[in-house]
Amino acid sequence: MTSRLYESMFLLDNTAVRESWQSAKEAVTATIEKHGGSVHTARHWGEKRLAYPIARRHRATYLLSYIELPTDALPAMRRELELSERVIRYLITLTDEVPDAERELTAKESSGEVVIPEPPADDAPEREPRAETSEDEDDGRDRRARRRPPEKDSDSAPDSAGSDDAETSDEAKED
Amino acid sequence: MARRMQAPIASKNCDDPPIDHKEIEYLKKFLTPHGQILSRKRTGFCAQCQKELKLAIKRARHLALLPFVG
Repeated sequence: MTSRLYESMFLLDNTAVRESWQSAKEAVTATIEKHGGSVHTARHWGEKRLAYPIARRHRATYLLSYIELPTDALPAMRRELELSERVIRYLITLTDEVPDAERELTAKESSGEVVIPEPPADDAPEREPRAETSEDEDDGRDRRARRRPPEKDSDSAPDSAGSDDAETSDEAKED
Repeated sequence: MARRMQAPIASKNCDDPPIDHKEIEYLKKFLTPHGQILSRKRTGFCAQCQKELKLAIKRARHLALLPFVG
């Protein structure tokens, strides 16, 4: 029964983290140890807005952990993680070694040097000003809308009051 | 007339450590505005590094660090 070194990332539900980060983290480490694994490092990697909703949530807290697990324990642990309500996603990858930086950061966190802020509400906007790509898409729509009005006048569909642009163009195609 | 292709974005030595799926600031450079992975022509990577990039981006997408679309 060989043991291998894995890098694991867990996405934790913010509601569980709001109650207590420590207990959420310990729930995960307990699961690992229950299956015969040993946790080398485990730390708060960040609380972020997700690129797409997962389980209808828009934000989650990331837990990065380097662990050692026996190979035959992996399927059983995955099953337990799938069923967990706290862990909404996970990624377990093989690695060669634990980076020193991770050990230091874990030590800092457990010694209480780092204060982990409470997760903001689910619809809180991302603080970074980078998320401006949506504005580019809006410009495209505006340009199309500006071109549309002449076609709308010629179609003259009074029944479709307040309809989307998509619906109007569908009607034109059906004609 | 074909649009002039821009110079490749970045280069990486194959000996360097493999691309990390956690370095999203770095990975974002290799996505189109719509979130698609850039081709080897655009990235300028060798075959092996391009594979690493693909894997890293796909892992990051799984962790919702990068979008699939958008």
